[in-house]
Amino acid sequence: MTLLAGLMKMLTMPKDGIMKILVCVKQVPDVERIVVRDAADGMAALDISNEFRMNRFDEFAVEEAVRIKESMAGASIHVITVGPGRAADVLKRPLGMGADQGIHLKTPTDADPGPAAVAAFIAGYARSRGYRLILCGSMSEDGLNGQVGPMAAAYLNLPYATQVIAIQPAPDPSELSIEREIEGGVREMLAIRLPALLTLQPGINRPRYPSLSRLLRAHRQGVETIPTETLRPAEAWVKRLGLMAPPRMRASQVLTGSAREKADRLAAILKEKAFI
Amino acid sequence: MTHPIDIMVIAPCANGRVHPETDELVAFGRRLQALRAGAIGVCIVGGDVNVAAREIAQRHSVPVTAIQAAGFSHYLSEPYVAVLTEEIEAVKPAFVCAPHTSQGWEWAPAVAARIGAGCICGVDGITEYQGRLSFQKELFGGKVKGLFSVSTTTTVISVMPGIFTIKPAPPPCPPGPVTYKEAAWRPAQTRYVGTRQAGVDASDITAAPIIVAVGNGIGSPENIALANRLARRLPKAAVAGTRVVCDRGWLGYDRQVGISGASVAPALYIACGISGASQHVMGMRGARFVIAINTDPRAPIFNEADICIVEDIIRFIPLIEEACSRLVEGTKEATDVR
Repeated sequence: MTLLAGLMKMLTMPKDGIMKILVCVKQVPDVERIVVRDAADGMAALDISNEFRMNRFDEFAVEEAVRIKESMAGASIHVITVGPGRAADVLKRPLGMGADQGIHLKTPTDADPGPAAVAAFIAGYARSRGYRLILCGSMSEDGLNGQVGPMAAAYLNLPYATQVIAIQPAPDPSELSIEREIEGGVREMLAIRLPALLTLQPGINRPRYPSLSRLLRAHRQGVETIPTETLRPAEAWVKRLGLMAPPRMRASQVLTGSAREKADRLAAILKEKAFI
Repeated sequence: MTHPIDIMVIAPCANGRVHPETDELVAFGRRLQALRAGAIGVCIVGGDVNVAAREIAQRHSVPVTAIQAAGFSHYLSEPYVAVLTEEIEAVKPAFVCAPHTSQGWEWAPAVAARIGAGCICGVDGITEYQGRLSFQKELFGGKVKGLFSVSTTTTVISVMPGIFTIKPAPPPCPPGPVTYKEAAWRPAQTRYVGTRQAGVDASDITAAPIIVAVGNGIGSPENIALANRLARRLPKAAVAGTRVVCDRGWLGYDRQVGISGASVAPALYIACGISGASQHVMGMRGARFVIAINTDPRAPIFNEADICIVEDIIRFIPLIEEACSRLVEGTKEATDVR
């Protein structure tokens, strides 16, 4: 980093310790309700219901932001999403949980622009708005990519960490003490200088339920809507060509009949294999 | 080096030793090479990598670039991304292969963003589809696999562990050339403080010959009792669960099966209301016999099961207990008569 950039960073750092937090959330289809169908040429197709909700992994990011806000006077939370018109709905739950302002970067079509474009849009919005901390879920339930966080950090030139399972204030107020969950039940302890971006592991907290009064207020308050066309244009570098049903790894013998018949058959199998 | 490197494998750095994931990444590179001709090269970055670099060159007979960086005692995203970005921009490979681990999954998307490369995380297959090289990965909680193609000059891929295997090059193969480089340690905004064990003792489930495992389908913490009752019905059985169940506090983390929990290999694994995302499946693939019960006939867990039962576990678990009792008592009576 150049000296100038360093100085700029110091100048934008609020002296009174006001923590401005940005939480990134995604609207996803209800994964449990998705029906996989066989399609031509051994490929698969999806029937996606019209029921959408907030990505479960993002609930932990919202909750963590609310906890930080509760422990820090003057902290504020903005929650941002990228998606078509319907995606604005996903901001209600975080506002109901305690976020202060919702921002909807509205895409012109229903198609998911992909992680690189989403990260570029979020970075385009967040740049120059003075967020001290940007929080994301570890990945989305639909794409399972976990790319938006690290990519947005790269675009914003921010230090970042993924798979964060604990956040604590550090002795130096310009830093946070964090723990990353790595392989083999080990946690990596780091100190990260603010402003920074963190993606959070599920289990870092227990997300609260939104409160009715907050939900009603959020409904009246509305959200800020910005068309993505006004932000940096997105390129579709990665294209989905098709879908396939996952391969069978074992016999996958399906038991048929009434529930009781299946239970009897299962008991017979357990007996035959000497498990009972 | 005579050939420019087309497929660049980034070997994980681990205290100067060769990480076993390196073998899998080379295997992935070879598979990629079979579909798209191009030279493979391995790059390893760390504080003490020269010995590891020679070992990789010997083992796989591939050219290796060792980037020795004083002060890189431990992996950190920030300097790692900076050093790799510089090296990738110099080499200009078509493919960069990272491990899909807490390291690779962290740096790969950031490196891709810095160099303007397309990025796919969690790749578990490569195939030719409609005349295009395409990468396969899980979507929608593992319910389907997506095939993706990338249009950028460089593609960054993080490769799912445990999928690609390789036999090391037979001894007569000459070792690949090793290039030694040095990178400057950049003043980082992130500081490594240390590591600690999360303090979870999973021996109850790793030692159990039978596991009754519960997932999201169990619905509420009260229903864990159903799994406990079924486990008591089976000899030396233990109750385990998925990450979601443990994150909610319905079971302790010492009961978690999966990538971030324990890997188990019991004689019998009964998956109750578990959808079967790879995060979980990776921890139970070693089971000898698997029974899966789920309401969704397309739940991916059924692909991992010997016996599939499409039922709601809340209603079905008591039926299993009854059926087992009938069967065992029936046999006992028959024996008594004799």
